[in-house]
Amino acid sequence: MSSLFEGLIDSKFAADICKLSSGLTVIHHYVPATPVVVVDAWVKAGTSLEPKEWAGVAHFLEHMIFKGTDKFPPGAFDAAIENTGGVTNAATSHDYAHFYITSAAQYLPETLPALGDLLFNATIPDAEYELERDVVLEEIRSCNDSPDFLGYQALNQSIYQNHPYGRPILGTIAELMQQSPQQMRQFHDFHYQPENMTVAIVGGVEKAIALELAEESFVSTNSQIQCPIGLVEAEPPITEIRRQKMSVGRLEQARLLMGWMGPGVEQLKDAYGLDLLSVLLAEGRTSRLVQDLREKRQLVQNISSGFSLQKDSSLFTISACLPTENLEDVEAVICEEISKLQAKSISPAELSRCQRLLCNDYAFSTEAPNQLASLYGYYHTIADAKVALSYPEQIKSFSVMDLQQLAQQYLSPQYYAINVMEPSLR
Amino acid sequence: MSQIQKRSPLTNLVQRAVLDNGITLLVIENPTADIVASRIFIKAGTRWESKHQAGLSHLVSAVITKGTDTLSSLEIAEQVESVGASLSADTATDYLQMSLKTIGSDFAEIFNLTAKLLRSPAFPAAEVELERQITLQDIRSQQEHPSAIAFEQLRRAMYGRHPYGLSSLGTIESVSGLTREDLQNYHQSYFRPDNLVISIAGNLTFETARYLVEKALGDWEIPTNSILPINLSPIVCKPYQVVTPQETQQSMVMLGYLASSVKDKEYGALKVLNTYLGNGLSSRLFVELREKRGLAYEVSAFYPTRLDLSQFVVYLGTAPENTAIALEGLHHEIERLRTHQLTDSELQTCKNKLLGQYALGKQTNAQLAQVYGWYETLGLGIEFDTVFQELVNNVTVETAWETACQYFVEPYISLVGPAKFVENCQI
Repeated sequence: MSSLFEGLIDSKFAADICKLSSGLTVIHHYVPATPVVVVDAWVKAGTSLEPKEWAGVAHFLEHMIFKGTDKFPPGAFDAAIENTGGVTNAATSHDYAHFYITSAAQYLPETLPALGDLLFNATIPDAEYELERDVVLEEIRSCNDSPDFLGYQALNQSIYQNHPYGRPILGTIAELMQQSPQQMRQFHDFHYQPENMTVAIVGGVEKAIALELAEESFVSTNSQIQCPIGLVEAEPPITEIRRQKMSVGRLEQARLLMGWMGPGVEQLKDAYGLDLLSVLLAEGRTSRLVQDLREKRQLVQNISSGFSLQKDSSLFTISACLPTENLEDVEAVICEEISKLQAKSISPAELSRCQRLLCNDYAFSTEAPNQLASLYGYYHTIADAKVALSYPEQIKSFSVMDLQQLAQQYLSPQYYAINVMEPSLR
Repeated sequence: MSQIQKRSPLTNLVQRAVLDNGITLLVIENPTADIVASRIFIKAGTRWESKHQAGLSHLVSAVITKGTDTLSSLEIAEQVESVGASLSADTATDYLQMSLKTIGSDFAEIFNLTAKLLRSPAFPAAEVELERQITLQDIRSQQEHPSAIAFEQLRRAMYGRHPYGLSSLGTIESVSGLTREDLQNYHQSYFRPDNLVISIAGNLTFETARYLVEKALGDWEIPTNSILPINLSPIVCKPYQVVTPQETQQSMVMLGYLASSVKDKEYGALKVLNTYLGNGLSSRLFVELREKRGLAYEVSAFYPTRLDLSQFVVYLGTAPENTAIALEGLHHEIERLRTHQLTDSELQTCKNKLLGQYALGKQTNAQLAQVYGWYETLGLGIEFDTVFQELVNNVTVETAWETACQYFVEPYISLVGPAKFVENCQI
């Protein structure tokens, strides 16, 4: 890894990061007290790499991986894992696709080779492709029945007008119908290569065994034929208020969703700072917006803030569920709070509350092997796993001045995207 | 040298004590991380509500953390949030609970605060009103989700006037009528030491835990009156179909059967059948209806653990034009359990899945505190942890089949979707 994250790396890193001769990265963490082992394979083959006309292929491929290989007919892998009491599943986002198994440690010698075979040798048969496309179409329909999903997707599109982060991960029904299994095989062969993968193995298995198994299990035979890659354009900053109003069916309460573009992993420390600002604004009853808008003035049913770290540019959001007549007031209050953060530093007590909350959240979210595996895999896919462990130290290092400066740099009461949904009058 | 851990399943040592004032204390010492999680269970919940007060337990849990004689809602939140702890209260059908989680050194302080809330909440009038209004909005918001509508109407159909028939939020009518006095009465009736189970898991010893609990709650006396018995409406099995036409992109299709309580002998067999149909990517419904026929993205089954008659539900979401075949497909899979016995290997697979995942569900301190406290609260005892595994292991091909024949006679059916496809859709 580059020296980009040097200041952020924890020297007491509890896991080992090993690069195998194939180019595959294995992150191993031995947890002696548990009979469980988790394997989490992260592939740099997310939605962002899709050519525009191939929208949805990264996610659809994640489904097709489970449709098997010459060795594992459709369903055989799922049965093999689940028949011994294990659990497996997968997920796709803009920066990655990942595939995980949790099982009793003694089954690792069977499960790991099976997962390796699936990832590298998926055959993507034509007939299974058409059948599974129906399943993905159902997934799209199901999401389209969720107002919050639609609202969030629309906000994303409004913020990222150039960068593929604005693209729906599932694609659309029309787009999927235009594509072929041949394109998917091309996408698969090109991206599912050892050098694009990080496999985290966490739990009751020792390092030598884990590495030996990984070495044997993850062998690529893909030729890496050429594949068009989507152009990733940097997203220029928002210099206006991008306002959209959506009408969706069956809404009982209005929704207000506001978003700002945050830093990418190249400014990872800034991103951690925005995590603190997000907590300060809307996590817990004592946070500014919850206290003011829900508890005191009772203008909202609920309000929350989210910060999602992404590789090129992260997303800072504030969302509320509220009566239609309060929309304008609530938007104004949120803008006022942001102005305040920019103009005046927060109190040391507020800072300390946010720091403790995030540090404890971190401790709570690294209790079980699956949480650790996911943390290592995610950070290594977008940055470097070692920085994951320095998170609490970094969070503790912020001053009130730092946060004021970050609020000035990334948040704004004048430049943001906003999406409003109102229930139709009855 | 042990290279791959073979210790299985998790063997947790649960220490149990009944204190002088009747509080049942469970402690699971687990020093692996510096975290302590606790669950305080009150033997109450929506099952204890009368129909006209539906939602009362939920409102109690929403307001209980919002004031004592000496502390305001904000002061309580400050105390918890300033140390990065979590503290919440929730209502389920068969219990009401408070949950807390802290770093080891903060546990005593946050536990003491929780004990105060548990014992003498103020239920401030303004907070009652705020949470009541928000609950009313939450009830309306449920209507935004087709799956929630489908489940809601199924539950009402199956349970009639029994409290399991309503969501824990209550109804617009019942919540509109709730008062602060109702909350106080509820608290007085059920929040008492002989009706409590306190479960603590994490980085502390049994002696420390016992000391903390006795110090905070040891002088809480058992009231002289006994706990009121509940008067539950009988559950009558009379299957029918409920339909809500709505312009959605997917139809929701649900079939429900009344099924045994956790205390009935068929509980283990029904858990196995539920696993067979709905658990995971290799389950019968997933393979037949999703993998082979592409009818759904989400298709599954659930059979919750209940003190009274539970429900066994299979469901999916599908394109409107597939509503009828999806309904037929779900029904066919249930019927098949009455006409075909599982094979020995299918049965063994279900047991492996069910028990394997059961073990995986006891990894964090919060999960440990939850599962043992819950068993104790339901009156099953902490030994139900092993009893459950034996029940599952003892299921045979014959008992599974007999159970299916007994329970899967005729389904309640719930449909939500575009009128053209859900109306007149029959099996």
